[in-house]
Amino acid sequence: MNDDFRARARAWLAANAPRRGSGEDDGESGQTTIADQKAFQAKLYDAGFAGITWPKAYGGQGLTGAEQIIWSQESRDYDLPSGAFFIGISMPGNTLVELGTEEQKKRYLPPMLRGEEIWCQLFSEPGAGSDVASLQTSAIRDGDEWVLNGQKVWTSGAQFSDYGAILARTDVSKPKHNGISMFVVDMHAPGVTVRPLKVATGHSPFNEVFFDNVRVPANALIGEENKGWDAAVVMLRHERIAIGTMGSSRTSPLAFDSLRDLAAGLGRTSDQGVRRDLAELYARSKAVQLFALLLREESQAGRLPGARGSVAKLAGSELGRFAGDVAADVLGDQLAAFDEDAMAAVTISIIAAPGSAIAGGTSEIQRNIIGERVLGLAKDPGVDRATPFNQLRVGTQRQS
Amino acid sequence: MALILTDEEQALADSVRKFVADRSPLTSLRHLISSGEPYDADVWKQMTAQLGLAGLTIPEEYGGVGAGVSALSVALTELGAGLVASPLLASLLAAEVLLRLDDAAAKTELLPRIAGGEVIATVAVASSAGGHVTATGGNGGDVATLSGTISPVLNGAEASVLLVPADSDKGTVIYLVDGAADGLTRTRLTSVDHSRSLARVQLSGTPARALAGDAAAALAAASDLANLALASESAGAMKACLDMTSAYARIRVAFGQPIGAFQAVKHRLADMEKSWELGHAALRDAARAGDAEPGRFSVAASVARVLLASAYADAAVDTVQLHGGIGFTWEHDAHLYYKNGLSNKVLLGGPGDQLDRLADSLGI
Repeated sequence: MNDDFRARARAWLAANAPRRGSGEDDGESGQTTIADQKAFQAKLYDAGFAGITWPKAYGGQGLTGAEQIIWSQESRDYDLPSGAFFIGISMPGNTLVELGTEEQKKRYLPPMLRGEEIWCQLFSEPGAGSDVASLQTSAIRDGDEWVLNGQKVWTSGAQFSDYGAILARTDVSKPKHNGISMFVVDMHAPGVTVRPLKVATGHSPFNEVFFDNVRVPANALIGEENKGWDAAVVMLRHERIAIGTMGSSRTSPLAFDSLRDLAAGLGRTSDQGVRRDLAELYARSKAVQLFALLLREESQAGRLPGARGSVAKLAGSELGRFAGDVAADVLGDQLAAFDEDAMAAVTISIIAAPGSAIAGGTSEIQRNIIGERVLGLAKDPGVDRATPFNQLRVGTQRQS
Repeated sequence: MALILTDEEQALADSVRKFVADRSPLTSLRHLISSGEPYDADVWKQMTAQLGLAGLTIPEEYGGVGAGVSALSVALTELGAGLVASPLLASLLAAEVLLRLDDAAAKTELLPRIAGGEVIATVAVASSAGGHVTATGGNGGDVATLSGTISPVLNGAEASVLLVPADSDKGTVIYLVDGAADGLTRTRLTSVDHSRSLARVQLSGTPARALAGDAAAALAAASDLANLALASESAGAMKACLDMTSAYARIRVAFGQPIGAFQAVKHRLADMEKSWELGHAALRDAARAGDAEPGRFSVAASVARVLLASAYADAAVDTVQLHGGIGFTWEHDAHLYYKNGLSNKVLLGGPGDQLDRLADSLGI
């Protein structure tokens, strides 16, 4: 049965998906290819490869982790042009599978898998990053609706999303973790404004999203009122596992194969330091892939990764930083300035490398999670945990 | 080919762990330090005669168990965690060299006795800085004489059989030297790692028999197995450091809190956990490759060794540091791991050598 699934996946990918490095779209570049991405996701769904482990009742395939692993293995060498759906399916989607009402699951999950609706995640705010429980966006009940006001930041895909999973404060008189709720918000609703956020590379891979008296219905609540932090923990766990185990493209500019070829092209492979750096990069890349594989095997065997997803996330970020250092070493003074597209790609990747240690939860937060939940060390003191939120100082607010 | 342990491998890990706890706890290593014995002969007898550990990679036709590389890795991980002093690594590498050579007489004569633990054998290899040996006279099975020095050699003082690579007029040939041969001087050195017995081996016109077969291929295979073995031991020992230090950080209180609450301590332990997980995953891959994909074994074992040798050495230093003053005392176990980590990192090829070899294999 597994062999059958593997054969089917292999044949379908070969016939329908672009191979990595083929020069076709990487599936993450945004608005211009959204129609293509939706079409590809629909094909994926029709072929029976979307929502592999999700229940059939919600459009999934009702299969096991074994098939999920096979799919990951077989699809590794392809650039699936459906990246716009990655966040929605792996984060809000998986969270709805766990916590959504029957009505929510039936309404939202199948269109996500069929490539009809794109989702984003709205957690971080200008004053609430690592300490996301200090968020200030408010949701105030008004009859059968909630009214949202506030600002979110670092939102991937907001510019082409149809829905978002948003965290908002529903009770300021409770301590910070106890007055938050999670909602489904229609990104096309009046009062939602999306603006691109330009980062250090000069690109705008993220957005800022403003909510100005945006109304959402009472049944948009995910989980219980004021229990949004629990829902957020579920989603963040899915996020870390998704990021930590998504694997990296062998053709990305900082991948081992790319840097080895770059070093050969620049005549740098006779330098012992460069050779050792590249060999170490190979070893470290390999280990990150193997650890992701080990986590998948363990969950298939019934041992869920839990907080060890943070190990995968931390390891992936550090690998990115290390690869950036190796690339810089390979380039030497050629890093300082460039005029070719090929050099632009690797140089921009070097500049972008530190971002992965911030995005999706900083490495410092991952270390806290690993220390506390994997190794059982005492929690950070958390001096603000018992104080009503409306008496706290948050973000960069000055003390009054 | 799954990375996670099979039920049999888990059972082997459990039985070796129990054996270490019952028969060779860290207090035994302290007895060896006081007595000056290189290892406990009774423990070695049980490791070989009862547990069959020296024969795990020797086929049944030569008196071994033929269980394979993954089983070996699992057992060595547990032995490494307990810093069990024994000539196991020396014997494994000698057996590997014999298996890869084409000398039927030597295989038949020696392998069953190595598997049974009656013969301690070792390969006299070290880095280029550790000296070299030259052979004169002798062709094929003829007796030659060897001269030169090689140091440090695993269990060189205790071995009754030494396999000595030497420069001959036919290039590098591996010679069989009897422990009682004339002109052979073995001097036990002061090992940094208390669990490892190392010696300087001096040969001066020492009679030896040339072994038939491809010496370079046999030595390369032994290097690969050494990488797997040292990575396995290091993984076990590193996990012991991680567990010991996490436990201490949970109970030791300073400034009104368990020290694990402080990020300076917590984050260092989180990094240790991360490095262990990565190294362990690479080790499982190498162990599986050893049995199922021999063509991939050399690179996979290098990867595991490169990652774990450095990660363990760092973890052992952090173990000392995070325990504070108590961690630097002779009475505390941290220094036993610290020295084992220093030694494991460099024995039979340190990180630079490993990376150079890996770079060659990867076509860089």
